[in-house]
Amino acid sequence: MSSSPDKPPANGGGSAQGKKKGGGFLQRQAKKKQTNSNSDHLDSNSDFIDEEELLKKPYISPDDVLKLRSCTESYLCDPEANVFSIDFTRFKIRDIETGTVLFEIAKPPPSEDDEDVEQDEDDTDPNAGRFVRYQFTPQFLKLHTVGATVEFSVGEKPVNSFRMIERHYFGDKLLKSFDFNFGFCIPNSKNTCEHIYEFPKLTPAEMQDMIDHPYKTKSDSFYFVDDKLIMHNKADYAYNGGISAM
Amino acid sequence: MGLLTILKKMKQKEKEMRLLMLGLDNAGKTTILKKFNGEDINTISPTLGFNIKTLEHKGFKLNVWDVGGQKSLRSYWRNYFESTDGLIWVVDSADKRRLLDCREELRGLLKEERLAGATLLVFANKQDLPGALPAEEIRRNLGLDDIKTHHWMIIGCSAVTGENLLYGIDWLIDDIASRIFTMD
Repeated sequence: MSSSPDKPPANGGGSAQGKKKGGGFLQRQAKKKQTNSNSDHLDSNSDFIDEEELLKKPYISPDDVLKLRSCTESYLCDPEANVFSIDFTRFKIRDIETGTVLFEIAKPPPSEDDEDVEQDEDDTDPNAGRFVRYQFTPQFLKLHTVGATVEFSVGEKPVNSFRMIERHYFGDKLLKSFDFNFGFCIPNSKNTCEHIYEFPKLTPAEMQDMIDHPYKTKSDSFYFVDDKLIMHNKADYAYNGGISAM
Repeated sequence: MGLLTILKKMKQKEKEMRLLMLGLDNAGKTTILKKFNGEDINTISPTLGFNIKTLEHKGFKLNVWDVGGQKSLRSYWRNYFESTDGLIWVVDSADKRRLLDCREELRGLLKEERLAGATLLVFANKQDLPGALPAEEIRRNLGLDDIKTHHWMIIGCSAVTGENLLYGIDWLIDDIASRIFTMD
């Protein structure tokens, strides 16, 4: 938040291995470990709700997912629930202290040549694009302040109230719950949102635990329009990049 | 206790401010937003929606909304008025041809009920360009001295060099804080 000169972007620090780049996975990562600057729900452990109960409901609300105590086993809505054609097209993480871009991935703009290929992928796995696996180096856990940007496009219909909730867990431990209301989205718009936040403080033991247990760190990203769940994406994370062969 | 009082108290607790940045297309809104946050400004294209940044500054949590300024998008601006604490109006000081346009759009905004409680900061941007009018000229052209309904200030700045961006934002935050938050 200073007007210091821009530093040239650089790559490094992490890589993503996703079946289909682009989908909502951008989002998951972006909201990864949102810390102090956004609403936390870490204290609201008074009444938990089970995934099974949620699946019986006609639709799922923000209050529902805020009561979950761990990542869900299944997706809480169908891909078809995204009737507003909201599409996540870019994700970027930068280290605010050095100005370094640590991670950036963009969905290529649709071209006619690609369409057939993408279609095939969709046929093989209906959840492709809803899940992504990230592999970072241990250094990633030591960052102090990061900026996470997502870019998304909106279809032909205006969206009145767009809200995202992202929950990060290590096992059953809720690391971070992040809640942001975008409000109105203009039809056919392209939008970006960067959250600049401090990384959660972890003890050295916790860090080591996360490094030693790749993919036990998981996140659920829930997207709501008018308080109804329309997208659900998942990710998992490893922090043993560069040391796994040892 | 009125609703407004309750809302103010809630905001006070979280020390949260919502800033809305508007202006004609090509005024430099996105460049200001990015420069202020130390981001690369070499690849900026017209905003066809919004750009949001949430950040902590001076102990406040800022939610800054930059909404596209193309004519076709201006009718959507109203969707972003709610709860705005500070309005940042960005002017291309080198675009003399559209200063009247610029004045009319700003006047329209200042009549909006939902912006009635917002502090106004006018950024006379692009002062680095040779043909740019100084902030004093922009002030006259926009008729800012007629504004009695809002706290306001105009400041010359350059999104490209970063000149005065911090100064302007800090003024805005201080003004909002002194209106909304009681001193601790």
